[in-house]
Amino acid sequence: MTLRLTINGRESLAPDDPMTPLVDLLRERFHLTGAKPVCREGFCGACLVMIDGEPTLSCLTPGGLAEGRDIRTIEGLSPAGRLNPVQNALEAHDAVQCGMCFPGMVMTLTHALRRNAAPSREELRHALTGNTCRCTGYERILDAALSAAGALQGGEP
Amino acid sequence: MSEISTVDPSAAVMDLKRRDARDKLTGRTRYTMDRAGAGMLHAAVLRSPLAAGRIRRLDTSRAAALTGVHAIVTADDAPGLVGIGIADHPLFARDVVRYIGEPLAAVAAERPEDAAAALAAIEIEIEPLPAVITMADALAEGAQLVHPGWQDYEVLFEGGRREGNVAWEATAIRGDVDAAFARPDAVIVENTFRVGRQNHLAFEPRAVVAHYEDGRFHIETSTQVPWTVRNATARVLGVPASEVRVTVPPVGGGFGLKFDMAIEPFAALLARASGRTVRLVNSREEEMLTCLCRENAEIRIRSAVTRAGEILGREAVVLMDCGAYGGEQIFLTTMTAHTLGGNYRVGASRLVSRAIYTHTAPNGAFRACNGVYNTFALERHTDEIAQAIGMDPLAFRYRNVLGDGDLGATGQRYEGEVLRPMLERMDTLRGIPTAATRMADGRLYGRATTVGTWFVFTGPSAATVNMNADGSATLVTSGVEIGSGSMMTGLPQIVAATLGIRPEDVVVRQADTDAAGFDVGVGGGRTTVSLGAASLAAAGEVRGKLLRVAADMLDADPEHLTIREGRIEVAGSNGPGLSIAEVASRAQTLLGPIAGTGGFTSKGTPAMSGCAAGHFIDALDIPVFAVHDCEVAVDPDTGHVEMLAYRVVQDVGRALNPRAILGQIQGGVVQGMGYALQEEVTIGSEGNILQTGFETYRVPLAPDVVPVEVSLYEGAPSLGPLGIKGAGEVPILNVGASVACAVANAIGRPVHELPLTPPHVAALMLGRRSAPVLPHIAGRWTDNLVKKA
Amino acid sequence: MIDTHPSLYIAPTLGDALSALGERGAEGAAFAGGTWIMRAPIRHQPLGRAYVALGKIEELQRVDVTPAHVEIGACATHATIAAALAPCSDLAVLAEAAGRSANPAVRSAATIGGNLMAADFAAADLVPALLCLEASVEIVARDGVERMTISDFLLKRQYLACDRLLSRIRIERADRRSAHTRLPLRKAGDYPVAIVSLSARIEAGRLMEPRIAVGSVEPVARRWTPLEAALEGAPIDIAAARHAAEAYAAYFQGREGIEAPGWYRISVLPALIGRALQSLSS
Repeated sequence: MTLRLTINGRESLAPDDPMTPLVDLLRERFHLTGAKPVCREGFCGACLVMIDGEPTLSCLTPGGLAEGRDIRTIEGLSPAGRLNPVQNALEAHDAVQCGMCFPGMVMTLTHALRRNAAPSREELRHALTGNTCRCTGYERILDAALSAAGALQGGEP
Repeated sequence: MSEISTVDPSAAVMDLKRRDARDKLTGRTRYTMDRAGAGMLHAAVLRSPLAAGRIRRLDTSRAAALTGVHAIVTADDAPGLVGIGIADHPLFARDVVRYIGEPLAAVAAERPEDAAAALAAIEIEIEPLPAVITMADALAEGAQLVHPGWQDYEVLFEGGRREGNVAWEATAIRGDVDAAFARPDAVIVENTFRVGRQNHLAFEPRAVVAHYEDGRFHIETSTQVPWTVRNATARVLGVPASEVRVTVPPVGGGFGLKFDMAIEPFAALLARASGRTVRLVNSREEEMLTCLCRENAEIRIRSAVTRAGEILGREAVVLMDCGAYGGEQIFLTTMTAHTLGGNYRVGASRLVSRAIYTHTAPNGAFRACNGVYNTFALERHTDEIAQAIGMDPLAFRYRNVLGDGDLGATGQRYEGEVLRPMLERMDTLRGIPTAATRMADGRLYGRATTVGTWFVFTGPSAATVNMNADGSATLVTSGVEIGSGSMMTGLPQIVAATLGIRPEDVVVRQADTDAAGFDVGVGGGRTTVSLGAASLAAAGEVRGKLLRVAADMLDADPEHLTIREGRIEVAGSNGPGLSIAEVASRAQTLLGPIAGTGGFTSKGTPAMSGCAAGHFIDALDIPVFAVHDCEVAVDPDTGHVEMLAYRVVQDVGRALNPRAILGQIQGGVVQGMGYALQEEVTIGSEGNILQTGFETYRVPLAPDVVPVEVSLYEGAPSLGPLGIKGAGEVPILNVGASVACAVANAIGRPVHELPLTPPHVAALMLGRRSAPVLPHIAGRWTDNLVKKA
Repeated sequence: MIDTHPSLYIAPTLGDALSALGERGAEGAAFAGGTWIMRAPIRHQPLGRAYVALGKIEELQRVDVTPAHVEIGACATHATIAAALAPCSDLAVLAEAAGRSANPAVRSAATIGGNLMAADFAAADLVPALLCLEASVEIVARDGVERMTISDFLLKRQYLACDRLLSRIRIERADRRSAHTRLPLRKAGDYPVAIVSLSARIEAGRLMEPRIAVGSVEPVARRWTPLEAALEGAPIDIAAARHAAEAYAAYFQGREGIEAPGWYRISVLPALIGRALQSLSS
């Protein structure tokens, strides 16, 4: 069977079974390896992608259920290497270490700051409950996100 | 020749931005697990379901005939044994299995599901044998031996005593301990401690892509130790080491997990057998079950002190569970002398550290290996001593911390007064402690200050610097970027400062054992120190050559030249000058391209002769000290511990990139907080690890943490280049200690075990749990030693 | 080798879903948010042979709130429910249960129906919340609709015929207050080791008809009836309520788990009762 997926605005065909997790389709079929299958149980957040604008666990989403929806991966969030305000702030705050969790972190924070232009540090902490980071101890990620607050209002990154 | 040989260290100090952040933020970084190639096969490993058993039959013929299966390899394909200190570890279980998860066979197939089907089709019969799961089991009279043939193994490092399930024993004896304990004015304090394992939970699992080309293996792998992988893979495969090339893409988290050969040889064998590129990536469950965890340990410690607070004597027995194979724990027995034997001036001491075989998954290295639990035990013990003699615990520490000229457990003489001024610095950072014991919301408040002693793991490193005619330089080493940023910031900063160019103009070559010389690996706080020293030497050679060429071009004395900001100029205002590119280009034309090489290795700081036996490091080349302060609130109803504040004063020698160090401290403290409070590895009665993923293995999340307040302590003596010390490993060192001491102070009951999960703390408050009873540690210290034959 | 990949049919309507489930018989299963089913491999359970996805069926996503009752479609996500019930103080227990479980991404995928159908999931937040609200559920089949109480449903859910589907959850509203207290081991992000859901009428500072449900302590959540009886008509007194909870704690047998021992789950119940009462009265 063939799945018809819209990934980063491009129609893509995958000759795969519909229960195949989206994260595996993205990585193995389309070589979009930004999303990471780290825990495969919805706790780490490293596989988050936007589906119809909502951060979605691509490890728990069957490819068949992503058909006809707008899938945006980390690669599509910053076309031509342009960073969005969250990515910019994370770079400027020297927040990145091993980097594996950041594609998911960027998804969650981008969404959180679109929803709320002036979140508190505590609100951001709780927004990150499903994004585990093993390297940084989180505080710089929060510093960066707070500094980017307000820059994401009004649509696309 | 002062300009040629010395570099102004301040030129290297800056908050340099990481060059790899942008790709990591946009998902472009290709870690090993992300690498794929045309025609690549997928590998999988068949693992033992039993902790101990005899392999009666292993038949791969049916599996090999399945569609899509290209190769299957077993113990017959990998004859060698590897290990640290003792070669006890085969690649595949041979004749017997020794832990749940031990590899039995590996397959390569077209698709992952074909590989899984092949594993299921391998026919295997294992006859169960009695298993020793705990160290108490292993040390019991007449216990089943994990390695009945232990005496036959090749010994790779002499000096450790061994016998049966005692894989290695290291002792450090200094002074007359019996006399200290016999003194009439001695107060004796004795404690037992126990800690569980800690899983690194590196986000990138161990992963490898292997090729076999032109009669050589090319292994791309997620490792901290490319040279260890090269040499150990060659050893287990029985091929010359020169036939193995290891390259390392960006590594998605190491923390010590990847400080050993892992799954590389499976992929290498399969690549050779199939003639195809083979990828092998551990599942999260495999990572949980076969993680080379921080080892579980059991400790008995006993001290004789005077009422005035003098530590007359100390003895300790430390049991470290190495699991089924010796591995890193053999080496780490060394560290007890420097961690549990560190921190304080002690009259006489005797310490024994024993690595114990059990039928469980092998343990390994984890950030500040051995140090975290020995510091926990030592600092809790110190608080109990202070209580026993009625002295304030901080005053006791001021009185006794190691100072200039004090002796360590192996008789090493410490240089400089470091810990005491660091305690003072902490007093300033913290302010006057609150005396509160109950908070407005009813929770119990506790606070503690602890000290810790760690070191930089020196050892050999090599670097080459190529000066390019365009004014850039290429740094070639076997250093790996594991996330700490050392390869992205510290090393280019050192090279750039030496050559008077911008760090951005230093290209850092990805680790490749075919391109760069030997290196012990990235870990142990050694990257910026050892690789930094090698890089400094290599860049220094280039600098000298540049200056000599420039001197000719400018008709000046090389000693009168300055080299900075991309130019070489005659010192003094308005002196004539040249761009470095011009000089490099001229040199290339006249003499050929300019390059420099540098090497570094440990200095071999002396210990007192006869003190240490079975130690891989008798004395610390570069000690590193830490003072931590922690405030907690404990929920009396549920046992939940909340960290309210955390403060660190860390001895860094010189902070090359302060911002990067602060990032390491925040991350290290939070990892230590997980160890102290949340992260639990439970080994079931069958020898199985019960936590198989993120649901059950709970690491700290954003709501759990606090911003760590930090003061970097500079200026302590260091043999490191430009006076630096490693800064990324030590932040985790005394977190377990500080949290445990603070919790004990909050609940008014002693703490003897980690992690302090809510059920554990509740059990302590309800009196359901008391200090661990360790009958397998003999009451008389000397009865714990392997008897000399 | 036969292809073992499961099929996935995306049902456009409830009727189609029921027909599809009927055709697939014992091999078929409904697929809602996927947060349980997609984790089958890591539980070492085989995936089913044929899934019928319910996510496109509009009527199953809806949350209808009226002054008299609330009806929640089985495929409403935790996030949807938390948002829809935020203004309803009588249903705070359910809003809280839906809004605090797991983590944000899971909450926006996991459904109430999935939560109720995952019989092996002891730490489900919504189950005790629905118990203390005395919710009822609607089971549909091609030949009709069956309604049952949530307690009945919990007994029968494992034996539901393969062509029947949990479609709707209904809660009668009343002049009551409610509270949900859960105890994860971290601040958030993991499954609670114990849950207390509480709903009661408050008259002149007294608890009337209190309904207390306890989750995660035993394999399946259930009401704490002896404690309800003991607190009936009692003034809101946290210390006394905790005391009563201690007295009746033996009503439960704590389940042993990797994350917490059975005794611990029981030992925290008095504190959770105290917190629930605190939040009820504030």
